[in-house]
Formats: sequence, structure tokens, C-alpha cells
Amino acid sequence: MITTAVTITVNGEAYSTEVESRKLLCDFIREDLRLTGTHVGCEQGVCGTCTVLLDGQPVRSCLLFAAQLEGACVETIESLATDNEHLHPVQRGFWEKHGLQCGFCTPGMVLTAKALLEENPDPTDEQIRTAIAGNICRCTGYVFIVEAIQAAARELRERGEAVDA
Amino acid sequence: MKPSRFDYHAPTTLDECIALLSRYGDDAKLLAGGQSLVPMMNLRLAVPEVVIDLNRVAGLASVRRDGDTLVVGAATRHHDVAMSASVREAVPLLAEAAAQIGYPAIRFRGTIGGSLAHADPVSEMPCVAVAVDAQLVLRSPRGLRTVPAGEFFVTHFTSVLEPDELLVEVRFPVMPAGAGWAFVEFARKTGDFAVAAVAAQLLLDSDGRIATACLGLAGVGERPLRAVDAERLLAGAAPGEQAVAVAGEQVAATVARQHGGTDQEREYKAHVGRTLTSRAVRMACERVERSS
Amino acid sequence: MPDKAGQPKLFGARVKRVEDPRFLTGRGRYVDDFVRPGMLHVAFVRSTEAHADVLSVDVSGARAMEGVHAVISGEDLAHVKPITCNSTYPSWQPTKFHALARDRVRFVGEAVAAVVADDRYLAEDATELVQVAYRPLEPIASVTAAIREGAPRLHDGWEDNFFVKRHVKIGEPDRVFEEAHGVLELDLITHRSTGIPMENRGVIAEYDPADEVLTVWTSTQIPHLVRTGLADFLGVPEHRIRVIGPDVGGGFGIKGHLFPEEIVLAALAMQVQRPVKWIEDRREHLLACIHAREHDHHLQVAYQPDGEVVGLRARIYVDCGAYSVYPWTSTMDTGMALGILPGPYRIRHYECEAYSVTTNKCPLGPYRGVSRPQACLSIERAMDEVARALGMDPLDVRRRNVLQVHDYPYESVTGLVYDSASVAESLEKVLELCDWGELQRRKQAARAEGRYFGVGFGHYIEQTAHATQEFIKRGVPIIFGYESANVRMDPSGKVLVHVSTHSHGQGHETTYAQVVADELALPLEDVRIVFGDTSSTPYGHGTFASRSAVLAGGAAIQAAGRVRDLLISFAAKELEANPNDLELADGHVAVKGSPDKRVAIAQLARWTYWRPERLPDGMEPRLEAVASYDAPPGTGTFANAAHVALVEVDPDTGGVKTLGYWVVEDCGHMINPLVVEGQVHGGVAQGIGGALLEELVYDENAQLMTTTFLDYRLPGATDIPHIAVGHLSTPSPFTVSGIKGMGEGGAIGPGPAIAAAVQDALKPIGDVFVNELPLTPERVRRFVRIAEESAGDRT
Repeated sequence: MITTAVTITVNGEAYSTEVESRKLLCDFIREDLRLTGTHVGCEQGVCGTCTVLLDGQPVRSCLLFAAQLEGACVETIESLATDNEHLHPVQRGFWEKHGLQCGFCTPGMVLTAKALLEENPDPTDEQIRTAIAGNICRCTGYVFIVEAIQAAARELRERGEAVDA
Repeated sequence: MKPSRFDYHAPTTLDECIALLSRYGDDAKLLAGGQSLVPMMNLRLAVPEVVIDLNRVAGLASVRRDGDTLVVGAATRHHDVAMSASVREAVPLLAEAAAQIGYPAIRFRGTIGGSLAHADPVSEMPCVAVAVDAQLVLRSPRGLRTVPAGEFFVTHFTSVLEPDELLVEVRFPVMPAGAGWAFVEFARKTGDFAVAAVAAQLLLDSDGRIATACLGLAGVGERPLRAVDAERLLAGAAPGEQAVAVAGEQVAATVARQHGGTDQEREYKAHVGRTLTSRAVRMACERVERSS
Repeated sequence: MPDKAGQPKLFGARVKRVEDPRFLTGRGRYVDDFVRPGMLHVAFVRSTEAHADVLSVDVSGARAMEGVHAVISGEDLAHVKPITCNSTYPSWQPTKFHALARDRVRFVGEAVAAVVADDRYLAEDATELVQVAYRPLEPIASVTAAIREGAPRLHDGWEDNFFVKRHVKIGEPDRVFEEAHGVLELDLITHRSTGIPMENRGVIAEYDPADEVLTVWTSTQIPHLVRTGLADFLGVPEHRIRVIGPDVGGGFGIKGHLFPEEIVLAALAMQVQRPVKWIEDRREHLLACIHAREHDHHLQVAYQPDGEVVGLRARIYVDCGAYSVYPWTSTMDTGMALGILPGPYRIRHYECEAYSVTTNKCPLGPYRGVSRPQACLSIERAMDEVARALGMDPLDVRRRNVLQVHDYPYESVTGLVYDSASVAESLEKVLELCDWGELQRRKQAARAEGRYFGVGFGHYIEQTAHATQEFIKRGVPIIFGYESANVRMDPSGKVLVHVSTHSHGQGHETTYAQVVADELALPLEDVRIVFGDTSSTPYGHGTFASRSAVLAGGAAIQAAGRVRDLLISFAAKELEANPNDLELADGHVAVKGSPDKRVAIAQLARWTYWRPERLPDGMEPRLEAVASYDAPPGTGTFANAAHVALVEVDPDTGGVKTLGYWVVEDCGHMINPLVVEGQVHGGVAQGIGGALLEELVYDENAQLMTTTFLDYRLPGATDIPHIAVGHLSTPSPFTVSGIKGMGEGGAIGPGPAIAAAVQDALKPIGDVFVNELPLTPERVRRFVRIAEESAGDRT
């Protein structure tokens, strides 16, 4: 086995380890770190179920090798709330609006939505659809997902205004 | 599928990088954004024994102005090319094209150098590079050489890059003031590979006629096409519907002549080429009028 | 009869789903999320030939690789029976689908060998060392090639390449066609596509030699049928097999099958005596899971001058691929198309020949809607063409032919009993919902700007929750007649419900809890629904065919009702009251009109298990009931919907964009309208995908060309517009609570609606009949050229 030493910060925790050079980041996250919220759907970078945030930006973890992420900061779905009492507004929006059915695309979709709203707090429906165009959902037909993200955007804006006030 | 085994190197300087390429040659693949390479490795269609990671090489990702030239480092991300104020100002055609590559997640990692080196004839970056005659700067143990984009692409997924050669920067001519541009792509769905695309840039002379035209096409052959015949017909023409139609017709004829597929494929690509060329030329003309 | 008045009903409420938190926080547990101690990983060697003799499989090189624990091929599974699933129809010809190919392969991707290694990466390395010697045979890549004179027979002992031939002739079609004012002949082609759940398949198998129990985790819709199948084919006693369907990331019918890979993993687990895991990758999924939709319909339609369609003839071919699928057989698509083709119309004279054909392609099985999307495409396009021939409004042709409210229950010409529906009303209501007149104006305005908008309509009636009587008619080996629920109240008064179905996105944990909580006057959170584990759930057939809410929901209501009766009996004794005077409300059993005379349900529960001396005579110390529900009359309850699509066509690129979509659906009473709407949205999105983007393409050598998502395109959020959904409610006269099934319906309407819309968009250019899905840019360009030529002919 050809390995590389690497230190990656995932969800705020630094992991220093030897990893096989060819191990995909999605497999490293799921197997080595036992964070199974990140899913694998195509290994081609098309479906988006493997989406994680790398230094805050949504990327395909199936197209990255763990070995190349020395010093990087990765956030997976587990970096948002892990209990029902403290859900992130995006998670809450998806829950309220029935923005998920089988749940497999949901982690990638939620992270993409979170990154969108951080960049654009007041998106139009079209901007939402464009931003999530790279996250395929086979169950929902996207209608309630768009409503979920709008609900989250509203809540985040209200929170933001509350903080500013 | 999982990729095959490889040795991983992460050089931090260009010299290191060249030394590695020189040592491993055909057994090595360069990893930039990985958005084209890793999908192939995940099908074991690419099985390099050595992967050389470019992401830590200092100075490969940058955008700077050098007189009449916009110099873009090969490892510059599509997202950064699309959002860069310098790029939008100097070569807006490039920014417009970069913004249409794939999805946000692809654009955050994919690089201009990676896209050019990958040499997919349907891709946006090769199309723009060929259209405006960008100069590609390649580095190897033998030194530097500059290859015009029109000579860089050989066929599907094949360029003139030697096994021990690295694309380090791309030099675009700054669009002259008063020119119009457009990048028009037809894909079957958002983020999908283009069925075809046209990159157009038009400069008008003092009489308001087209002085020079740049037209590049993606998706109509084994390489990006520089539509020189159409460009020649546009030179001296008044911008307007007639010029649009003429350019479209000529591109259709060129594509029909060159396309190697079935009759149906050729006819389809010729018509799509005609259609997108017309739209791109029309939009470029409109942008000229708006800026003047 | 004591009732449960007093608190707001959960039935009919837009309750947010109780299962969502774990999915939202990344704690869903899909097969690949399970790690078993000592687990090893499996990769398959799959055939690169579409049709070939397997001369030898040399695994020695792979076996010798470090990290490899076992490599097996077909001959190592000589003790394992091939998968067989046979119809009772007289013309049926059977297939044997070996878990690993024996002496022949019949489709590219068929599993030939399996490697067990320390990890998946290594296992795949080892697959490259397995040497398979093939002797290629002539590949059959299409129905045409399969049925032509002299075509090689794909299966031993077959006289031709038909799985089954069906023929029905009802009424007097010959006379009616002779006498009709006009006859149209139409071809409708739907190319191959499939469900594509976001989660690929996955199997973990583990044999515990201490218990002698084989446990199999699998991403399935049918855990019990997998268990029985494993017992039947692998020869392991069924009471020593436990199948666990965990969280499943989508199924759509595709995962409603027993797969060779499940058998192989089970066999490997017993051989290597360690848990083994196989996670399908997307390429394998596209090659070798289950394909769908590939139909060729040739129609003749006899019509009168006022638009009445008096006769219908059809010849239907379904390309069923290489093997009969378990548990459906390869008759499912043909039989259903034959039965439902006349649609929601009063057609009394009908003849249909339907053929399931074998080819060297991946086996074909049911996918959301099964044949109904293709049948709907055919009959709806036929109605549109009758309208065109007569110069009538296509909606008026529907109005002339469609069943009216007084027609129900209506026995169709093929013997389907449409119990109740609102087809005619849904048509009018969807026109209101979309503002049909306004859409026409938008279309004209767009035309003035040089753009091509089109509006299209399609509607359907569909059989849902069909059970025993229906499946008997279908000649299938397993009669999918019922589902079951076990309702058990514990000493704290909380309720656990085990059901035989298996949600893979439909929200059963919420919807079943809603109906049980209503029945027992408990808050939603006091009811927990469990499914998927065959060691604890009652036997049933799984989730498919739009039946779970009716059958398992119905069973849950009935079982909960029996527990309610037990509580009432006990309370009657405690309160010294007449059971008829008691009601359940707010967690208590109380005397109606005397709210202070009551006892807490939790108290009764505790006493039942801890204080049996308090129980009434004859009542056992258990608050538990199991019920099975075979919704009468067994031939299903019929749901319907009407769809409208607004598209824009770019006639030069052939691109089609769906700008708007409207649905009015009727599934009777709804347990949870949020869930119903989500199902409609999802079905419509798949239907739009099938109409415009999705196609599995084989070349003339039966090699699959579309093996990644770069080639097989799925609709994303910019391909699907906002989908407006309106509801009508025509409750089933038969089912418990009047609910009908509806999970598949959304996928049925988009084909005809979008085909009609594209044709409408091209009308300014000329006449053309749009009859082939998906409408790829090249196909649209072909239709544009035909339209241009027709206009040229006219001038």
C-alpha cells in the first residue's frame, strides 16, 4: 500500500494519519472517520451526493484524494446540528417544508444550500435552482426543496436582523 | 469504481514539478482541479502510476495584466476566472465562458490549465482560447515554449503537450475597447457538457463596420474550430442581421465539410453551429452598440 | 360503536415527518453505513460480452493477490439454484438466471465472478486478474433482431425469443373498424430508461456459526421476498435467514427485485465465515441492475365524426432483456399495457397482441408506473390525433370519450373495475388550475416574439392497491395479496407497530403513525413504526405498486382497532360502564359525557402486563393485535390525475425547456397531503426526465453506451419547473378510510403532456406527430424537419 501522511481538519477536529494515496476523500470521511452522512452516488462528480464544504466552498469529495488535503478544512453534514433541538435553519427549513424523502441526496443538498445562503442571503427561486442544479434529487422533484431553502433564507435574514438590531 | 494504485507527489515549486514529470513521463498524470482526471481514474480509464499534484506549486494560480495581454496562471480556478474583475474587464468573453462550466462545485476546483490540457473538444476554455488566439506557455526540462491555441489541440483529449511538459500560463489578448463579445452554449441541461458552443468577439472600425472577428466553436469536431472562413466574410461587413446570417451559413458549411460522424449527426451539428454562431454574432453586435 | 372524538385528527394533516431528523443530520443508516466486525469487501467481475459462451474462468491470479480472501465463479455455486420466476400463462417460456454465470452470458454486465478482499480498492485490483475466456455469439440488440426469421434463440429449449405472447379480443373490433368513419394508425416508441435511485444497491451478508443464522442487509423494497428467495435458491432454511432492509435511498420499483448479487453475497458469507459487503457503483447500476420502459406500441384507432373513439387495436412489444425478473416475471409490462391501454375512456371494442421479447440486454422490470406511462402516451396521443384528423379541440375529444361520474363503478373492456374516479372533473379542474386560456395567450405572445411555446395535456386512470384477485389474473407465481401490521402497546402505553411494507422515501414512519395515533387517541410521538427487519416484522410483500398506505395502513388501522377494543373492554370493567358508552380521547378511556369518569390508557397498559388479576375474564395479558389487509375487492381501487405541461422548444437546437407543470390528482382521502404532494412532484420529475433526458442506449452489438451520469442525464433543479398540484377527493368505496394509492401516478402523465406540448409548439412550423420519447435534441430536430416539409407540401 502506497501511503501519504496527511493532517486534515474535519468538522473542526484535526486528524493526522497515513492514508493510501488513492483513497478518495468521500471514502476517507466515511470509513476512516466513520462520518457516514456524506454519501457516494456516482464517483463521477455529477450527482452531488458526496458534496462537502472545503474551506467553505461546496466540492465533490468523490473527486478529491484525502492525500491531497494537507492543512485543509472540511465540513460535512455532521458539522451542522447533530440533535433535533439545535438544527441549522437550512435543516429546519427542509424539515418544515418536506424537502426530503429518501434522504440520500439531503446532506449534499443541505450543504450546498448553506453555502449559497452565506453568499446570497436573499436568492430568487431561479438562483436557488441554479445553485443546486449540481445536486440531483430523484425523490422530491425539487419543489419543496426550493421552498425549504427560501424558508431557511427568511429565518437567517430574520436572525441576522435580530443580531444587528 | 475505485482508482488504481499510484504514487503521490505534491511538489511546491515548478522546478520540482518539471523534474518529476521528466522522471516519470508517460507514467505520470498531473492533478490540478481533478474534475476531469479523477472521473477517468474512477473508471480506471486513466491508470497513472504517479500522480503529481499541482495544487501546492507556488505561483501557478494568478491573474495579471501585462500590457495588452491578460496572463492567467494555469492553476487558476474557473470560479476565480469567472469572478475576477481583471478578467471581466480585459477579456469578458473568458469570464462569461468560465461562468458556464459545469456546476459551482466543479468551478470551485476545476482549473483553466486543466481544462485546456484535457483537450475535450466540447469544453469552454479550449473554445475561447482558439477563438481569440490565446498563447499557451509550456514548460519542460528543455525550457519554455509558446504555442498558439490554434496549434495546441490535436484531436479528442490530445494536445501537443509532451509527456514531460506542463502548461504554466495562458496569455489572452486584451479585448480592444469598443469590441463586442458573446459566449453562447447549448447543453441539454444546466451544467452538462455542451452539445456545442460559440465564442465570438467583434471589433468595429471607425466606420462602424466589422474590422476583425474572432469565432471559435466547441462540439463540432475533434478539436475546437476556429471559423476562419466565417471570420473572413464578417470582415468589412456591417454589423446586423445579414452579417449574422452569413456567418451562420459559413460555419454550417465548414462544419458539414469537416464533421466525421453519420449524415444525421453532421447535419445536426452543422445546424446547431449555424444557430449558435448567429446568436453569438448577434449578441456581440448588440454589445458593441451598447458600449459605443 | 365507541369512538375517539375530542382531539384533532392527524389523518389528513400536513404533519412534518418524524423520520427526517436522522436524514437531516447525516445519521440515516443505509447499507453502506453499517460496519460489521471483520468485514471484507466484494467486487464483481462482469461480462464484457453481450452474448457468449463462457469457456473458462481462471481465478488463480486473483486468488494469489495479497489481501484477497476468496474468488468464486459460477462453478463454485453449483449447489445454488438459478433465479427462476415463471408465469402461468400458456405461452410462457422460462429462463434461468444464475447468480454467477455458468456456461453462458446474456448481457453486458452479467456477473461472472466475485472477489473478496480486505477493501473495495483491492478487490477491484484483483478483478483485473481474473481471466475469462469468452466465445462470442451473435448479439441480439433489439426486438427487431430478436423476432426476425432465423434469429438465434437466447435460451435453451425456446422455440423463439418470446417470453410470452398475449392476445385479447373483446367486443367486435373487426365490425367496428369496418364501419367507423375513420381509422388512424399510430406508432409510439418509448426508449429504455430506469429509476435511478440516488443510492445504488448494496448488500452485507454475515453468517453466525453459533446461531447458524444468515443475516443479510440489503437496500431493498421487499425484505421478506428476498428472504424467501434466498431460502429457495440458496437452500438455507428460511427460519435461519434474517433480512434487514435498513434506510433505503430510493427504489422506484427497481429495488423491488431479488438480485443475483444478494445470493452471491450470502454464499460468500457462508464460505469465508466473515461478514462480506458489496456496494454497487453507478456503472454497475446502469449496466446490471434493472432497466425499464422500453415499449413499442402500434395502434389502430377507429373513430366517428363527433370524436367518439369506438375501437382500439394494438400490437405491443416490450424489450424485456435477458432474464425473467423475480418476483414479477417478464410478463408484468406486457400484461399491464394490454389491460390499461383503453384508459379512462368508454371504449368497448378492443383487440391487443402483446409480446415480451428477450434480448441481450439487462433484464427489464417494473419502474414507477410500470407500463402506465407508455400506455398513457399511446392512448393520449391517439386522442390528440383523432382531434387533429377531425379539426376538433383535443380537450373536446377527451370530453366526448371520458367516463363520467355516473359511469362508476365501470368495468373496462379488459375487465378492470374502475371503482370510482373523477377523470372528467379533474380535466376541468386542471384547466382552471393552469388557466388554460392564459397559457394559450402566453403561447401567442411568445410566438409574436419568435419563440415557440407549446401546451400539452394528458390524463389517466390507474389501478392502485390491487391485491389478491388482480394478481391471480396476472399469472404470477406470487400473489401480492395483502400486507400486515402488528400493533403492540407496552406497559407505558406507548405503541410499537411492525409492518410488512418497506418505506424508501414515502414517509411511512409518519403516515402509519398518524392513522394508528388517531385510532388510539394518542399523540403522534407515542407511536413508533418499524419495518425492514424480517425477524420482527410480519410477512408481507413490500412496497411497490402504490399500495402500502392502503394495505399496510389499512392493516395498521385494523390492528390498532383491535387494541382499542381491548382497552375499551378493560376500561369497561374498571369504570363499571357499558363499552358502548366509552370513548378514547386525550390518552384516556372515558365515559361519553362524563369526562371525570375515565382511566388513563397508560394505566390500563401497565395493569395489563403487571396486574393481570384486574383483567376482564377472557382477556389475555397483552395489548397486541396483528391484522392483514387484502383491500376489497382485490382488483384495486382506481386513482386518477390530469396533467398540463407548458414547454418552450428551440427548433434550431432541438432543446426543450419545461416552463410550467400543473397536476390535479385524486387519490381519495389523503393521510398526509404533504407526503402526497411530494410523491406527485417526484413522479412528475421522473416523468419529465423520461420525456426529455433519460435514455439507456445500446449499440448494435448490445453494448451499453450510457454507463455513467455523463451519458445518462438526470433532471436537475433547473430542468424541472415549479409543479402546481391541486386535489380532488373521490374516496374509495372499498378501502379502510377511503384512501387510494398514488405513489406512482406523477410519472404517468408527463410523457403525453410533453409530447403533445412539443407538437403544439411546432404547429406554427408545420404538422408532425410527436411519438417518441425521450425527445432528445436530435429527435426534436427530426420532428422540426418533418413539420417544415409538411408545410412545404401545403404551399
